[in-house]
Amino acid sequence: MQYIVKKIITLIITLLLITLLTFTAFAVIPSDAAQARLGTEATPQQVEALREEMGLNDPVLQRYGNWLTGALQGDFGQSYQYDGVQVSDMLAERLPTTALLAGLSFLLILVISLPLGILCARFRGSFLDGLITQLTQITMAIPSFFLGILLTYIFGLVLRLFQPGAFVAPTENLGQSLYYLLFPALAVAIPKIAMVVKFLRGAILGEIQLDYVRTARSKGNREGRVLYVHVLRNAFLPVLTFLALIIADIMAGSIVVEQVFSVPGIGRLLITAISGRDYPVVQAVVTYITVIVLGVNFLVDMLYPLIDPRMRSAYAGPSRRQL
Amino acid sequence: MKRAFAVEHLSIAFQDKNEPLQTVVSDVSFSIGLGKGKSEIVGVVGESGSGKSMTALAAMGLLKDNARVLQGAIWLEEQNLLSLNAKELSRVQGSEMSMIFQEPMTSLNPLMRIGEQVGESLFLHPGHGAKLSKKEIRRQVLKALEEVGLENAERVYRQFPHELSGGQRQRVMIAQAMINQPKLLIADEPTTALDVMVQEQILELLRRLHREKGVSILFISHDLAVIEKICSRVLVMYQGQIVEEGAVSQVLHHPKHEYTRTLVERFPRFIAPPRSKQNVLTLRDVSVFYRERKAERSGAQRREIVHHANLEIREGEILGLVGESGSGKSTLAKAIVGLNPQYEGEILMQPDLQPQMVFQDPFGSLNPAHTIGWILSEPLRIIGIKSAKERKERVLQMLENMGLSKDFYNRYARELSGGQRQRVSIGAALLRDSKLLVADEPVSALDVTVQSQILQLLLEVHRQNGLSILFISHDLNLVRHICHRVAVMYQGEIVEIGDAQEIYRSPKHPYTRRLLQVENMNL
Repeated sequence: MQYIVKKIITLIITLLLITLLTFTAFAVIPSDAAQARLGTEATPQQVEALREEMGLNDPVLQRYGNWLTGALQGDFGQSYQYDGVQVSDMLAERLPTTALLAGLSFLLILVISLPLGILCARFRGSFLDGLITQLTQITMAIPSFFLGILLTYIFGLVLRLFQPGAFVAPTENLGQSLYYLLFPALAVAIPKIAMVVKFLRGAILGEIQLDYVRTARSKGNREGRVLYVHVLRNAFLPVLTFLALIIADIMAGSIVVEQVFSVPGIGRLLITAISGRDYPVVQAVVTYITVIVLGVNFLVDMLYPLIDPRMRSAYAGPSRRQL
Repeated sequence: MKRAFAVEHLSIAFQDKNEPLQTVVSDVSFSIGLGKGKSEIVGVVGESGSGKSMTALAAMGLLKDNARVLQGAIWLEEQNLLSLNAKELSRVQGSEMSMIFQEPMTSLNPLMRIGEQVGESLFLHPGHGAKLSKKEIRRQVLKALEEVGLENAERVYRQFPHELSGGQRQRVMIAQAMINQPKLLIADEPTTALDVMVQEQILELLRRLHREKGVSILFISHDLAVIEKICSRVLVMYQGQIVEEGAVSQVLHHPKHEYTRTLVERFPRFIAPPRSKQNVLTLRDVSVFYRERKAERSGAQRREIVHHANLEIREGEILGLVGESGSGKSTLAKAIVGLNPQYEGEILMQPDLQPQMVFQDPFGSLNPAHTIGWILSEPLRIIGIKSAKERKERVLQMLENMGLSKDFYNRYARELSGGQRQRVSIGAALLRDSKLLVADEPVSALDVTVQSQILQLLLEVHRQNGLSILFISHDLNLVRHICHRVAVMYQGEIVEIGDAQEIYRSPKHPYTRRLLQVENMNL
């Protein structure tokens, strides 16, 4: 219980710190949202009036306080760029697409990398292991956006498996939407798959050296059972943390890839918002990404004690070890 | 039908990439009787690297990928274990023969409940093809846990390894190894990582299982004392070969091979008695203080850590100083070697005593910026040997005496293992012509096997140079085995002092009794 409370408090503090930090950053940047909104033709009086109206003249902390109260109620203010449009509406419109892309990427990573990693470790030193290791080495080095361009060219222009730019919103036709998203998801997933395979292989091989594995063998466990019953669960502990980091990576990767595949998701929203100095939107997107990344890490922290009994008793207060 | 476990002309070698074959076991043959009336406990003794574990691992099919059997056979009754394929071997492993290991702390799967792990052995070898029901497995596991002396088996069944002590884990390992009633149990240093008290209990348990179940045991150990307690026959291995074989009493008391003789001599039980009753160091009413941080400026305040200590160390004596951390052992030691001048009372010593300290932390106590040669030459420079050539000669000689090769002269401390560093520390102390070593927990930071090597080095140095040693430790069992007399410290006072065996037999001070009790409970 104490463990959970501690983790929740850390979560809240981190969240507050990051939002405060981005908020202050936008307040300090030498560019004027009011000016940007009115254009260069506006008189200083007009700009000043708008500044006052937008609350830009209030102290930063007070503005942050106002924003926070709003954000907690789901109100992220109005877009600077598009008059009268609620930021939360803009976000809500694009959220399903991005969530779908991220989810699909993660699923691809899991489905492909876990079996490959296990296969490599099981047949370590074999031709198959060498081949997969070489392949992962190469794909790890390709950045997502370049992979995106490559995939667009091969599957979109040469093989004509999909039509680049003709995205169908998930609300319109989920199946078609998913099919289109498969390609950007691949672009996001492939470099990550390589990382997870390499990491999982390393974790399993590290684990296989340990004494308890020798014990398992001495009991008459065959190699397969040693791997699946004894090694995998232990090896998966560090992989879990790694996967949480990967999810943060997916968020970052999808911003660029959405742009490459013209998928109208949060990532594209962020890029247009940044170039238009639409700070409320930028702030909202940053907050959203922060919440996801921290949330995933929190989830992993909660999962750990479920998998590892040592963590359970470490946080259950004084050790129950007998004398 | 052959009723024996027999190793015939076994040779094993390591083959690492691009390196020549390195033979670790060469032409080893021996046999152990199996089954009713023939079962026995046979010891294999030898230093690490002598090939004793390799032989056992080969029998269990647990050799690493880079080890190759060059020739020979290992018979378990009618079947040659080396000719079995993986599937056939897995039927023998854990059922007809099983193994327990040195490291009880790490030899169990940390994520599996004890019951599940012990039950797995049954699950894998259901016998006669009939699958056991979960209920039946549970019943048998509980029975096995009880048989190895685990109290509250129901509870242990549900526990995870980290919730058990080292002794309990080793019992679990034994339960798991014995649950299928094997004919042969291979025990590879099963007590080395355990406290001496727990060691005794595990040995007793193995003896009982041998007596009651008729299991034969191949007992591998580097420790002759342990071998003597449990084995009837012993094989001595040296550099991959069996150099001597026979009844334990015969081999221990009339060793034939030269290696066995050195092994027996090193046996800690034979520590040489002190040379004389002459005191080399006398403490009279010594109180030692620490200046408090704050008080450093005001100058006045200091805290008394050791209260009115009286102590003598005799020539050629190993005196143990025990007590829990914070009892003032180290503070007193520092006053003796002159590292803490804040004391009252008298410290009388022979003029040429030169007490030197060997510290617990071998990593922090050697200057990282200089070579080992430079570090060892320093004491020679201090005592005024001007010729660089002579200094180098003496340092090289000392390296050899400490069991280190000449290469170490040009190495840096960071390139050395903990044990090697401790050897250098001891060498440095000896180069100052010290007649008294003050060893403050000299082996506590080291691995168990390295520990015993360093202890042997200390005892050898003691025997050859007639050195006195003040041996400070929190480990009562260690002190008991290597010290002539023991002083017990408690809250800054020496509460009891006397002959080592005497104190363990009849401790007088209540604190000493409590110390011994805690040690006893620590299974």
